[in-house]
Amino acid sequence: MTSPEHLLADEVTVGYGRQVVLDGVTVRVGRDETVGLRGPSGCGKSTLVRVLALLHRPDHGQVSIDGTPVHGVRYAVPVDLRTRVAVLFQSPRAAADPRLSLDDLIAEPLRAVRTPEATVRERVAELADLVGLTADLRGRRPHAVSDGQLQRACLARALVHRPDYLLCDEATAMLDASTQAHVAAVIRDYQRTQRAGVLVITHDQTLLDHWSDRIVDLAGAARART
Amino acid sequence: MTTTESGPAIASPRAGTSEPLLTVDGLGVEFRLRDATVRAVSDLNLTVRAGELLAIVGESGCGKSVLAHALLGLLPGNATTTGHAVLHEPDSEPVDLITCGQRHLARRVRGRRVGLVPQSPATALNPVRTGRRLLAETLRAHGHDRADADQLAVDVGLDPADLDRYPHELSGGMAQRLVTALALAPDPSLLIADEPTTGLDRPLVDHTLDLLRRRCDNGSAVVLITHDLAAAQRVADTVAVMYASRIVEHRDTDRLFTAPAHPYASALLDALPDRAFRPVPGDPPMLTALPPGCAFAPRCPHRTDTCASQPPPTPIADDGTVACHHPIRTGAVT
Amino acid sequence: MADLATRPPLLHLARSRLRLRPGQTGVVIAGLVLLVAVVGSLLAPLVWPLDQSAVALDQTRLAPSWTHLAGTDDLGRDVAHRAVYGLRVSLLVGAVAALVATVLGGVVGGIAGMLGGRVDRLLMRMVDTIAAMPHLLLGIFIVAMLRPSLGAVIASVGLTHWLSTARIVRSELLSLRTRPFVDAAISGGAGRFRVLTRHLLPHVLPRLALATTLMIPHAVWHETALSFLGLGLPPHLASLGNMINDGQGSLLTGAWWASLAPGAVIVVVTLAIAVLAARWRDRLDPRVRAELHL
Repeated sequence: MTSPEHLLADEVTVGYGRQVVLDGVTVRVGRDETVGLRGPSGCGKSTLVRVLALLHRPDHGQVSIDGTPVHGVRYAVPVDLRTRVAVLFQSPRAAADPRLSLDDLIAEPLRAVRTPEATVRERVAELADLVGLTADLRGRRPHAVSDGQLQRACLARALVHRPDYLLCDEATAMLDASTQAHVAAVIRDYQRTQRAGVLVITHDQTLLDHWSDRIVDLAGAARART
Repeated sequence: MTTTESGPAIASPRAGTSEPLLTVDGLGVEFRLRDATVRAVSDLNLTVRAGELLAIVGESGCGKSVLAHALLGLLPGNATTTGHAVLHEPDSEPVDLITCGQRHLARRVRGRRVGLVPQSPATALNPVRTGRRLLAETLRAHGHDRADADQLAVDVGLDPADLDRYPHELSGGMAQRLVTALALAPDPSLLIADEPTTGLDRPLVDHTLDLLRRRCDNGSAVVLITHDLAAAQRVADTVAVMYASRIVEHRDTDRLFTAPAHPYASALLDALPDRAFRPVPGDPPMLTALPPGCAFAPRCPHRTDTCASQPPPTPIADDGTVACHHPIRTGAVT
Repeated sequence: MADLATRPPLLHLARSRLRLRPGQTGVVIAGLVLLVAVVGSLLAPLVWPLDQSAVALDQTRLAPSWTHLAGTDDLGRDVAHRAVYGLRVSLLVGAVAALVATVLGGVVGGIAGMLGGRVDRLLMRMVDTIAAMPHLLLGIFIVAMLRPSLGAVIASVGLTHWLSTARIVRSELLSLRTRPFVDAAISGGAGRFRVLTRHLLPHVLPRLALATTLMIPHAVWHETALSFLGLGLPPHLASLGNMINDGQGSLLTGAWWASLAPGAVIVVVTLAIAVLAARWRDRLDPRVRAELHL
């Protein structure tokens, strides 16, 4: 039997203090599909993203990548496993180190794993091209570009390791219609060509309907309470 | 634009035929920077009638927030403003919001006659006051009963119990609803809402939009500044599309969404997920280096040599004129 | 600051620009004052040597004149001449003590902020405990345990001034650690060391350097206070505190100038440092620093 090709959060429970945010949630994102996640505000969508991105340790339950259970979170996860899941956050301003130019921002994950500089430059140029960042924009720092341009740079950074899974946490909520369509088009294209799994979280039902292959309701993904 | 007569045929069907409440005439805003000048608003004309909900839409950085701040005299000191924006209220003297001076704005206009729902609620709230105190102070200052605070909270979809929390104890969405309540408290005749639905999920977005709609139905006017086209379509009477510091098309909501005449408006609508879901090609120009002709020309499929050199006409809401040399006529491109 | 993201960059940049204009002249004057003070105290031994123990009992309490610009004290020593050497000592003590405090505070705050949890709580309770004691008293205690000397004064000032630095570094690190850009870096494959050196320290270091600079005036005042109380440097050594202390006696006899020059030097030089540091703090704001392209 071949191993399953999916990113799986299996009966994940997370609480902050006494408040239970996720209660036995199971969500599966297969390769080669775009899953839309819907749920009311404050239902733990962002927490689920952090759990799936191996950034937050669940109180119970487990995350596995293609059938391999992941132990530990953050730095404790082996780099080759960590880089297989990428996140695109809601606010590009918060997700970009204000000191780095857009070029350095995109290059950072490559430099973090000691990629030769020539390869870095080549790959950054390729990705900047993919998300439509002009040479003039690439040299600028986050404060000198718009939210839309910065989110495109963050998308390029998320794709730099060619992740198998991409998690989009309200990634287009702050963007105008044109940038939203641009970001979505790049992600859809990537998803198809790389056979990647994409999780889209948004409160925008229309966007969800037109972007995802199937929609999961977070309330329904939780285990029935006794 | 001059305050011409408001004939029955020209106003939008939902807004009715009331008198203009705000007429903006040739408004321009520039920021002087060390090595450049930013033209954030250029030669802008607008009319907002009592009972009208006008939505201003556009990409981030097109100048729509600057427009809101200019109308309230809230621009930083390196801004230069030209033109006029006259507020006509039935039972008081007309006042020009651009030229009347900070003191007059602060004492007589801001808050009570023109309200603002600011874009970043977290920085707009006094951190050492609870929501209830903030609301009560605002209500009292404008001669209302402070007991109305609970009702206002319910209006904006906030649990009255949450009024006893301090701003840092509120989520982004709750803070957003609180600043909306604060802006509504003095019952201004014109409300400017700058992205009032940021951080809210769908039911609350709808709730807030319905609240704004109801205000207009009761005779107030609202200028809704948003990047959310669906929101604009849902509640606005008229929509103005802003691009690179100018309004390029301003017309009745239904007509704009069914048959946009400006190529940019058309391209922006095509980006919606339930339409072509296709981005507008290229990037918007920098506001420090706007071309002499049409700013959209480099990205426009219909451009000609005229577009690069000749500034496009000034859009007029009433007769459908758009800021384009080659507007899209229904069915065919001229 | 967290909602930088939601504000229009346009208004934002324009507003921050505004802060740059005022205070231009003050900064230039402060810079010149500090330049003269530092160069003067560095070159003093070469161009204007002073015999620390020399006295001239035939020239006591002379009013300011062309030969003695700031007058002479009750032992006939030239006040201006000694004030230059006093400043030399004060700046040395101030700079070294501020450095000691920064290193100490940086290490303690860094450990607390990076490790968090129990270590953080323990270290911060310790900081709170020390902060609860009056620090001048603590400084006096430290000097009293050692012998009055330059080293004792530096230790006394350095060991009592690292608390605020530790708190600054800790809170900066704690807030930076949870920022999404750190999450993004971890997710991109960066290790602990890379996150620390590439994403955390570059944000903390400028603030740390600023804290050090702001501490120099404070340390100078402390040295002066200790010397004034007779707990600082040996009394025959020219230090600003010693001079003000000596001048006390002369004041009663009408020789007001003996304390005036050292007092004025302290106020002017520490003010100059504070003005420059405040300016620097404004520059640290990345919104102001950012190159403008819109």
